[in-house]
Amino acid sequence: MDPRPVDPQQLQAMARRERVRQVRGALGSVAEIAIALVIGLGVGALVMRASGYNWLLAYRGLVLGAFGDQWAIADTLASATPLILTGLVFGLSARAGYFNIGAQGQMVIGAVVAVAVGAYFSAPPWLAVTVVFLVSGLAGAVWALPAAFLKATRGVHEVISTIMFNWIAHYTALYLVFNVLNDPRSAERTVRVLPGARLGALVPGADMTSALFVAVAVAIGIYWLLWHSPWGYEMRIAGLNPSALRYAGANPLWSVNLTFILAGVAAGIAGATQVIGRPPTYALYGDLSNLGDLGFDGIAVALIGRNHPLGIIAAAVFIGAMGAGARMMQIMAGVPLDMVRIVHGTVIIALAAPEVWSLLGKFLGRLRAERNAAPAHARTLQR
Amino acid sequence: MLFASLVLGALHAMVPLTITATGEILSERAGVVNIGLEGILLISAWTAVIGAESGGPLVGLLAGVVTGAVLGLVHGIIAVYFRGDQTVSGVGLNILAMGVVAIGIVDRWGAAGFHRVERAFRVPSLSTPLGAMSPMVIVTILLAALTWYLLKYTNLGLKIQACGENPAAADAAGVRVERVRLFGAIYAGALTGLAGAYLSVDWLATITDGLPAGRGFIALATVVFSRLNPWLAVLGGLIFGFFDSLGLIASTSQELTRIIPYQFIQMMPYVVTLFVVAGVIGRFRSPAASGQPYRRE
Amino acid sequence: MPDRSAPPAGAAGQYKPVSVLAGAPPWLEMRGITKVYPSGTRALENVDLVLAKGEIHGLLGENGAGKSTLMKILSGILPLTSGRILLGGREIQLRSTHDGLAHGIGMVHQHFSLVPTFNALDNIVLGRGGNLSAPERAAARARVKRLMEETGLHAPLDVPVELLPVGTQQRIEILKTLDRNVDLLILDEPTAVLTPQETDQLFDVLRGLAARGTTIILITHKLREVLALTSAVTVLRSGRVVGNRLTEGATAQDLARMMVGTERMPDVKPRRRHEKVEPVLRVAGLTVKGDSGQDAVKNVSFEINAGEIFAIAGVTGNGQSELIEALTGLRPIASGRAYLLGQQINAKGPRQLYRMGLAHVPEDRHRLGMVGQFSVLENSILGVHHEPRFRRGLPGTLHWGKVRRYARELVHRFQVVTPSLSAPMRSLSGGNQQKLVVGRELSKSPSLVVAGQPTRGLDVAATAAIRDLLVDIRNEGKGVLLVSADLDEVLALADRIAVMYEGEILAVLEQDQFDRERIGLLMGGVRDGSAAG
Repeated sequence: MDPRPVDPQQLQAMARRERVRQVRGALGSVAEIAIALVIGLGVGALVMRASGYNWLLAYRGLVLGAFGDQWAIADTLASATPLILTGLVFGLSARAGYFNIGAQGQMVIGAVVAVAVGAYFSAPPWLAVTVVFLVSGLAGAVWALPAAFLKATRGVHEVISTIMFNWIAHYTALYLVFNVLNDPRSAERTVRVLPGARLGALVPGADMTSALFVAVAVAIGIYWLLWHSPWGYEMRIAGLNPSALRYAGANPLWSVNLTFILAGVAAGIAGATQVIGRPPTYALYGDLSNLGDLGFDGIAVALIGRNHPLGIIAAAVFIGAMGAGARMMQIMAGVPLDMVRIVHGTVIIALAAPEVWSLLGKFLGRLRAERNAAPAHARTLQR
Repeated sequence: MLFASLVLGALHAMVPLTITATGEILSERAGVVNIGLEGILLISAWTAVIGAESGGPLVGLLAGVVTGAVLGLVHGIIAVYFRGDQTVSGVGLNILAMGVVAIGIVDRWGAAGFHRVERAFRVPSLSTPLGAMSPMVIVTILLAALTWYLLKYTNLGLKIQACGENPAAADAAGVRVERVRLFGAIYAGALTGLAGAYLSVDWLATITDGLPAGRGFIALATVVFSRLNPWLAVLGGLIFGFFDSLGLIASTSQELTRIIPYQFIQMMPYVVTLFVVAGVIGRFRSPAASGQPYRRE
Repeated sequence: MPDRSAPPAGAAGQYKPVSVLAGAPPWLEMRGITKVYPSGTRALENVDLVLAKGEIHGLLGENGAGKSTLMKILSGILPLTSGRILLGGREIQLRSTHDGLAHGIGMVHQHFSLVPTFNALDNIVLGRGGNLSAPERAAARARVKRLMEETGLHAPLDVPVELLPVGTQQRIEILKTLDRNVDLLILDEPTAVLTPQETDQLFDVLRGLAARGTTIILITHKLREVLALTSAVTVLRSGRVVGNRLTEGATAQDLARMMVGTERMPDVKPRRRHEKVEPVLRVAGLTVKGDSGQDAVKNVSFEINAGEIFAIAGVTGNGQSELIEALTGLRPIASGRAYLLGQQINAKGPRQLYRMGLAHVPEDRHRLGMVGQFSVLENSILGVHHEPRFRRGLPGTLHWGKVRRYARELVHRFQVVTPSLSAPMRSLSGGNQQKLVVGRELSKSPSLVVAGQPTRGLDVAATAAIRDLLVDIRNEGKGVLLVSADLDEVLALADRIAVMYEGEILAVLEQDQFDRERIGLLMGGVRDGSAAG
């Protein structure tokens, strides 16, 4: 084929059209998420009304508790910190095409290791903190490996294996917390990490620490990896079309394993932030209650953030705000904390089916058309 | 004595796993995968208690079945008609369930996190030579048999399998793929709802916001183990159930917990699940179109 | 419903052509059919199609002309946007295939609609009402056996269909449709996977069916088939009817003109003669295993010279795919040797082979050659994304600016029509996707291009463009391995043709030995008058 001369005007028009499309696409997905959030909050309001709570007061409490003053905002960001990381675990994995539910277990292991290292490794603050994050991240990655191995060699579905490893991590951590890391002076928690390994509160009286910046840095790093490095390019192909990755001369298994490991690192760091980055405890409770279900909440965060690192930061702030505001909601309207889960769950279910909106639009359009064309419709019926 | 309690324990622990897995087998054969079984177990366990306390154990079981069917219907509509992401929908269901039941327990009984079901509202046991056994054990076997017969010997079963293997072919042959798949999703939901009711108004006789304790996921592992054959789901349920009940029995034994910390005993069913899924069975081929929405064109 | 009491069919002569155009009363009428897809694509525009009872009607058109869309509407798979369908003078509503079958309309699809794990009997009874109790099963078996006797379509009933040859699968497909008592049988490109000899058999069967009252619509883009079988033909082009006439008296040229319009299939570029001849690829005793562990390629040897197009002809599924995959590093070589420019390529991966000078236009474009959800931009560097020319100074960083410049050049040079570089690849037409893939591979400045079915599913213009590119490559003195099931393409492009049958190369033909009939026989496994083992 004869090379065609390059027409600069046509090139410019092409580039312009491209930008318009990009903006339109981004707006569309933001709108989709916004609608899902509204549905989630709406269902929450309905449930509260049905249970006899004042939902308006509850939501006012939620907003006040999340954004009412600087302490509220700091609490929101503190709650968002681990969620960014556990959200990245799921989001990064989803980009590479698998459903990693293992954040919870990897985070628990990371937290236990953070206690062990932070309580006994004496060093200057910057070094101690760095070592805790590194070792916890490593522990999370190690905990993630068997699931990757089982998937690669035995074809075990990752949802089943990661869930089982979550339970195994849970009981392992309980054992270690009670029998190895327990504080002789307190029955309800482990030993505290050494002062050198503690991150201080950035706003006095609130528990936000510089762990937030670690989480954001990890998010930006993963963003860079996925969209600006050849390895991330390969990971995304592995997620969408592994055969094409083989054709392109790379090994999908290698990409998937790398993703598993990096996700494990993020989960391990998430666990560490809850130990060395949450004043005033700096330890794990015996029932692991200061870890809660952060790993599972990360799934909600990732799905709402559309598995995009920057979207995950925003979604983590949203879910974090609900977590931080839930206490005020409970105080003001008497609504149990778990109310926010109903909202999360509904939002996710609403997000699962983006075609609902186009179908709904089509249905409404048809209704309108039928109403306008009523006489013709009636004729058809008569015949 | 120990033997009898182990056998009965395994049978009782089998029931929720096998019933749930049996329903999911039919659903996956039709092409709908539901990862939200854990959530359905939880919510229907809660509604079953409400039902049982207002109308007796049978009403409780029925409430569980209806709740499960409705949740299965919702998941099915999202999966089949809205062509949504089945995994995402299932995850949403699991999270939603934790919230609904946590609040529901407070809302209903005023106590946070835990409510005990009195004997009068529980499913009455049968007396057997080994001891008291729940009639649900027999129901489980019957359901597995029924599902097996349905899949293997009825025209509906043929249609179900065609929808999972090659929905386009089924469609071209005049099978209403959407309806068959929706039926599968509702069937899985209803059976899972029955299993959830069994957890609360029969076997465990309590309702908490963590009642299923991963059994929804172990049921998914049982589905993998079964290679979508209901009889093997009974076997898988027995294997997993045996270790589940072994853990329950062992963790109450003073002598044993002194040697092995109870945390490791409680870990057992999960470790066994991993080993069985990885080692004994290896890879299997699920229906070609399972988990994928069907779109004409 | 066909009259089953009629004597067994088989003899072709019993079929008497009928057509509305020859005065027969209309039986099926599709009037003013318009189809607009949700994406806005107008697939059909005010199309009319009228048939008489017992007619064999050809529906002719290029890929993408709207033939399959029209027939999917008629069989109830797709809803129509506007228009009416009348059967025996009464308007019918078709909301699903269920409705279609209820009106006696059944379609045999190009991609078979068989459940691969079911046996023939289960596939045939699928979707019929009732219970599958033992007596009913036996009744169904008897019914299908009788149908096989009446129609001459024979197939084993108890073997999973995925284990049967495609020709047999197609017979099962037709049996399945006939078993639903259809009196309008639609066949979508039924001969695409058949040898010429199997095609003749199928046509005999169809004439027999028509003689007993079954109306048949044959979708095809092959002129010879229309002339051989049909009594009338409707020609579609770009979603509109451009012709409707009796087949009698029509010539291939007439039909071709209607089908492609003024844009005639251009002649392939002239080929330059090369003075020196040296081998680019040498394959010696190559054996490759298939997916189920059988020998898919059996002890195959050949050489490809610089400056030639070496084509492998054969019915799809005779080991060509496995051969390509083995030569491009996607499938291990079980035994034998292959050399690219004198270097052995056994156990080399795709990336190493690319560095050694191999480019690969994969036969399954969607599965291998592209990532549909990725943008055109991202697809433009698939396989070369690790190269330093797309990097920033920082190690391991993609420089999207450089990629963008490269992609723009690619899009322009190979005339890929795309709304923008960030448009998802899957939103492009098949022809433009393939142009990007071919362009990307040719930009690797390879010594050997392996091209699998490079024009399958493309329109006339794109096909011509791709064929020209392949000839260009050849004229530049590079080697081309062309694997194609399209005999016309092979005959038009090849310098030498190898015919593959059941994993073996039965013959390698020089240009003066090219002969359609001989190649057709070889494709069916007949070597010099005797069947190959």
